[in-house]
Amino acid sequence: MANMNNTKLHVVYGDATLGLHGEGFDYIFSYGGGPESIVIDGKEWLYRTLKPTFWRATTDNDRGNRLHMRSGMWLSADMFLPCRGVKVCIDGNEELPKAPMNNQFVGNETAENVSITFTYITITVPETKVEVTYDITPDGKMVVTAHYFGNEKLPELPVFGMRFIMPTKADGFTYEGLSGETYPDRMAGGIPGIYEVEGLPVTKYVVPQDCGVHMDTEWVKIYRSRVQSNVGRDIKVYGTKEDKPLDRFGIQISAHNEKFAFSCLPYIAEELENATHQEALPPARRTVLCVLGRVRGVGGFDSWGADVEDAYRISAAEDITFSFAISPIKND
Amino acid sequence: MNADIKWLDDPEVFRVNQMPAHSDHAFYLNEDGILKGVNPLVQSLDGEWNFCYSVNSMERPADFYREDFDKSTFDKIQVPGHIELAGYDKIHYINVMYPWEGHIFRRPAHSLEGKVPVGDSFSGAAYNPVGSYVKCFDLEPGLCGKRVSIFFEGVEQAMYVWLNGQFVGYAEDSFTPSEFDLTPYIREKGNVLAVEVHKRCCAAFLEDQDFFRFFGIFRSVSLRAKPALHVDDMWAKPLLLTDNVSGSLSLQCKVSAAEGVSMEGCKAKISLLDANHESCFEKELPLSAELSFAPEDIGTVIPWDNHNPYLYTLIIRIFDAAGELTELVPYRIGFRRIEIKDGVILFNGKRIIFNGVNRHEWNAERGRCVTMEDMEFDMKVFKENHINSVRTCHYPDQIAWYYMCDINGIYMIAETNLETHGSWCKFAAWDMSWNMPGDMPQWRECVVDRARNNFETFKNHTSIVFWSLGNESYAGENLAAMNAYFKEADDTRLVHYEGVVHNRSLEDRISDVESQMYTKPWDIARYLENNPKKPFILCEYMHDMGNSMGGLKSYMDLLDKYPGYHGGFIWDYIDQAIMVTDEVTGEKVLRYGGDFDDRPADYEFSADGIMFADRTPKPAMQEVKYYYGKYE
Repeated sequence: MANMNNTKLHVVYGDATLGLHGEGFDYIFSYGGGPESIVIDGKEWLYRTLKPTFWRATTDNDRGNRLHMRSGMWLSADMFLPCRGVKVCIDGNEELPKAPMNNQFVGNETAENVSITFTYITITVPETKVEVTYDITPDGKMVVTAHYFGNEKLPELPVFGMRFIMPTKADGFTYEGLSGETYPDRMAGGIPGIYEVEGLPVTKYVVPQDCGVHMDTEWVKIYRSRVQSNVGRDIKVYGTKEDKPLDRFGIQISAHNEKFAFSCLPYIAEELENATHQEALPPARRTVLCVLGRVRGVGGFDSWGADVEDAYRISAAEDITFSFAISPIKND
Repeated sequence: MNADIKWLDDPEVFRVNQMPAHSDHAFYLNEDGILKGVNPLVQSLDGEWNFCYSVNSMERPADFYREDFDKSTFDKIQVPGHIELAGYDKIHYINVMYPWEGHIFRRPAHSLEGKVPVGDSFSGAAYNPVGSYVKCFDLEPGLCGKRVSIFFEGVEQAMYVWLNGQFVGYAEDSFTPSEFDLTPYIREKGNVLAVEVHKRCCAAFLEDQDFFRFFGIFRSVSLRAKPALHVDDMWAKPLLLTDNVSGSLSLQCKVSAAEGVSMEGCKAKISLLDANHESCFEKELPLSAELSFAPEDIGTVIPWDNHNPYLYTLIIRIFDAAGELTELVPYRIGFRRIEIKDGVILFNGKRIIFNGVNRHEWNAERGRCVTMEDMEFDMKVFKENHINSVRTCHYPDQIAWYYMCDINGIYMIAETNLETHGSWCKFAAWDMSWNMPGDMPQWRECVVDRARNNFETFKNHTSIVFWSLGNESYAGENLAAMNAYFKEADDTRLVHYEGVVHNRSLEDRISDVESQMYTKPWDIARYLENNPKKPFILCEYMHDMGNSMGGLKSYMDLLDKYPGYHGGFIWDYIDQAIMVTDEVTGEKVLRYGGDFDDRPADYEFSADGIMFADRTPKPAMQEVKYYYGKYE
């Protein structure tokens, strides 16, 4: 690699992507949709593009108070989210380096600060916009800032966050925050501390629903020991010999400015939404990390109409901004 | 007397030859029985019984009770247990609607201004399954030569009993004990007990609880032998006096003697021991059928409450004319005082706060047939999470649970077996055109009898703060009669009922407290700020269905603001779902309403616990623990 020190990013001006490389990390941003590859120490962390998320699998109370009837359009916005723009800023230069303009570059381009912003337009009626900006520094730290543009004509949001789908199921995660499963209106009993969670437990509500949210988090480290890459494995005999786990490897999400909420499950919201029973969920094969800027409370005054208290509902009328940082795990 | 199948249809026939309901005291020949833990006066009939299932009463083997009946075609079934979980009849969960909704048109006898006849809606129904149970047994030595009764702790929903070919009796009220005297029919060897259990009778209109609809002998069955002189019933009333330091005790007993035995010259010795087995009170009385003494000063006592559930042991010893001990009855009692003063419920002179839960009896594999281990586990969960009170929703529980609540200081709403929401809440709208039990005189005695069964069985339990008339049964003259019964029977406790809020014309005659369910915090504040008639409790709140329990703080804050607000009872303690083996994966999985081709169903609506059905805590538990601990 051309640049192996920690002072500059190695920039690859691709025809469809922007590559950023440094010691221990390799990131590729697809102009068509967002980050497509986050590789840390040779291990891929993205199965599909990192994107904003708007839907949570409705809880019994959500269905009781008819959130899904009011806010159902956020389900389709969550599933089908077009990316309608990309901007970059590389050491102050805001010109988008796409073909053929990128012919001017060579193989060892470097930069100190790279910022890339994707604009998403929701398929809600009316539509609105989300901008997600990635600020990457030569140490490999990536600060993600998601900005939702409010529109008072839109129904309230079930959730707003960023969703990672990771290629394989994680071994578990460790976080500094509150004990147990917490929500904005159910977190007084959460005890601050550092918690290690084995596997990716889905809370076994008889009907699968949103679960596993952890409020007020400082950081979370996700650990895996499996990859999808065939390297080191004979794909012709896939499944016929023992597929040994690797030494575990991790990624860290940290608070930036403010603490964040997250859930780390083997399913996306739509998979949970569709299952009537725990056993109707598909076999767990991925890791779905939702880093959440706003979480709707769960409510509970009753399950047949009482809404979540006002303070714990997410208005779609106002702008929402939140950020967090992605980094390799240091000193672990 | 012969059994009559028409009793199933007639609300005025609900107990035939049943012994009067009485206190749940244990009795022994002497100290030995207590120490050894085996009481030779009691013989369990739990275990394997012969069994035959029929889809309706026409198809049942009507003469199966005859001693010479050929039972070779009968299956085997475990008692206690639900017939559905043994694979005979469809498992069905439905909440508000009566379980025959969409299948059978029914109206309760005498409803619609008396136009509905008694008819044969239950005895003649094409679908109203029958379980015919037979148990053959020999008497154990300790029971021979004595008066013997049979004690069914719970049979759902109507039961006919025969012994050795002779009709013994009939019972309804699924959740309180039914006891019959077998003395005239029993022999030492080769007894044939026949029990015919009908899934539904007209009492189904009174037992519309929001739960899985089961039938069968689902609690233990035992034989009990009475010593020659026997305490049939006792009511000890320990009271903490208004100085909150000293106590008084009164006692009323009903005593019976075996045929030919006289009470002349017999004595009762009553003693009260503290927790260190030191005697604090002794009394000797000549024995009589009505044995009692008026309140006597005990001096300084240690009061019973949630923080220090201090129990004394009352011991009644019965001596015959020769001075021989013939019976010993121990009962653990606590001194406490419950009253309402200036709109506030006081317990031992202090405002009481209920950090409560509603608890259905539930075990994912056994249904409502819960085990001692389940109960002990539940009590441990209560203690660990600062749950200080329980409502036995919506029926009396197994007897052992009441003793556990006494020992562990759990304040109890002891609810009567009554729920009729399907009679007035129809398709999410109210319609009182017929409502149960309403005002109909023909339905009065059967519901008052349910109140009596509840009171008489459990009256000695220190943990009981409220008698509850039932759940969601609107409010009419029959509820008022139940209330009057409890007020007349017991001046030491309060009466609870929620449904009168829907018919305030009866609010001065029903319920000592303003009990509501799921009321929003701001509406509770409004009630308490506008000259409240009664102290306020929430008999149900924080509906913990699925991922829930958000906003508990808004209720807990009311405790700081309004002395007349006394907290509430979370809905509810444990998810009701059934553990089955998944037909696809072979794994153990939890199933709910609608998963058994049962329709109409209310699906997952019975999964509202702070515990999952497998008795692991839901994540919401830490929130409950935090707030209930804070207000302990």
